[in-house]
Amino acid sequence: MPLPQLAVIVFMSAHDAIKAKNKLEKARIVHELIPTPKEISSECGMSLRIEKPLLNRALELFRTTDLRYRNDLL
Amino acid sequence: MIYFDNAATSFPKPKAVIEAMEDYFFNVGGNTGRSGHRMAIKASELVFNTRELLARLFNISDSSRIVFTKNITESLNLAVNGFLEKGDQVVTTSMEHNSVMRPLRYLEQKGQIKIFTVQANKEGLVDPAVFEDILKKEKIKLVAVNHASNVTGSLVPVDVIAEIVSRYGSSILVDAAQTAGAYSIDVLSDNIDMLAFTGHKSLLGPQGTGGLYVREGIKLAPLVRGGTGSNSEKEIQPNFLPDQLESGTMNIIGIAGLGAGVKYVLKQSVSKIRQEEMKITKMFVKGVGKIDNIEMYGPRDISKRVSVVSFNIPRHAPSMVAYLLDKQFNLACRSGLHCSPSAHKTIGTFPRGTLRFSFGYFNDAAEVEKGLTALIEISRERYSHNKQTEL
Repeated sequence: MPLPQLAVIVFMSAHDAIKAKNKLEKARIVHELIPTPKEISSECGMSLRIEKPLLNRALELFRTTDLRYRNDLL
Repeated sequence: MIYFDNAATSFPKPKAVIEAMEDYFFNVGGNTGRSGHRMAIKASELVFNTRELLARLFNISDSSRIVFTKNITESLNLAVNGFLEKGDQVVTTSMEHNSVMRPLRYLEQKGQIKIFTVQANKEGLVDPAVFEDILKKEKIKLVAVNHASNVTGSLVPVDVIAEIVSRYGSSILVDAAQTAGAYSIDVLSDNIDMLAFTGHKSLLGPQGTGGLYVREGIKLAPLVRGGTGSNSEKEIQPNFLPDQLESGTMNIIGIAGLGAGVKYVLKQSVSKIRQEEMKITKMFVKGVGKIDNIEMYGPRDISKRVSVVSFNIPRHAPSMVAYLLDKQFNLACRSGLHCSPSAHKTIGTFPRGTLRFSFGYFNDAAEVEKGLTALIEISRERYSHNKQTEL
């Protein structure tokens, strides 16, 4: 079985990364905080890795909470 | 030891504060915002949680609008220097602490700003109508007020003044050194634009912690620029909060302790803390009123003050009384000018100063009784106000 594709969400600030993590935990959306991959950006030290099929649900959640992430990188 | 110096720093701290700090040192470790490993994530979570707790306490909808500082002096310097520009005019009061007055006077001396001072009455109370008179005539960029005086304990009706300030399109900076955690503050209903607070007084956290709330729409220039863990590819300071105003590694262990302090305050509730503190303050004020010769300052109306009481025993130098209280009665308090010369001029105690008892949530009625007995004994003794006995 092929592994699901992953998406990485990059945040402006560690503040937003932790806020996003808390939101996803509450909504029981599987995710992982990881060091921001250098190829993507050096925006903020930590990013969020999520399975691609879950990305839209996560972004929908973020939209309602003023979370600041790099939309242009998605 | 009886500790009546809570306006300087609160003591003791809740056990949870010490445990949270220990937990950071033993189990968390990492830096915030810089890396993405588990220890860094835990540290970032800890800082985030403290911000959220403070947001809950002050009714701030977006906790990223709170920036941490090393103390309220830094918060006030950041607000004053970051907000004011050449040609701006400021209104303040005669009850301010030097942490507001010195940065303001510095800018005034450099010819950059003009200051209008609202004179408080002998009890240390200000009349909001005077603010309106000035705002009507002058273009004012900032109104800076001390929420409660560290000398007289007198409260300023922040919500009333802030409403006037917003009507004239100006902004208000509130110095909450003596009120945050001890008196209800709601930045939304009180119309507060900037709220400066310290962590080590009524928020029951450790020294080295403080912060500033900045309402959305208010732009401040940073006091310090440098690494933030964000925008690292650029040599230009980021322009979003909290990063813009928080360069360099922060006091994470202190913020861990502060978080536990705020949690404790929220659990007890500010209204209960206020009630308990004012119960013993009332008892003390009543008791002092019965001692011959003691002159007390600040509002007679207890609802217009916090748990800070200044007084003098005529012919007894305040420093000498504080010394006797410490050595003979095991009681810690403060004497002198309390970093607020114009407040002392307002109440007529400059340059002599006052004795100050400041009560905290952990003081009780028995301690107040002991304090009153000590003052009665000292006031009866013939400690003359001369060079030999003056300390």
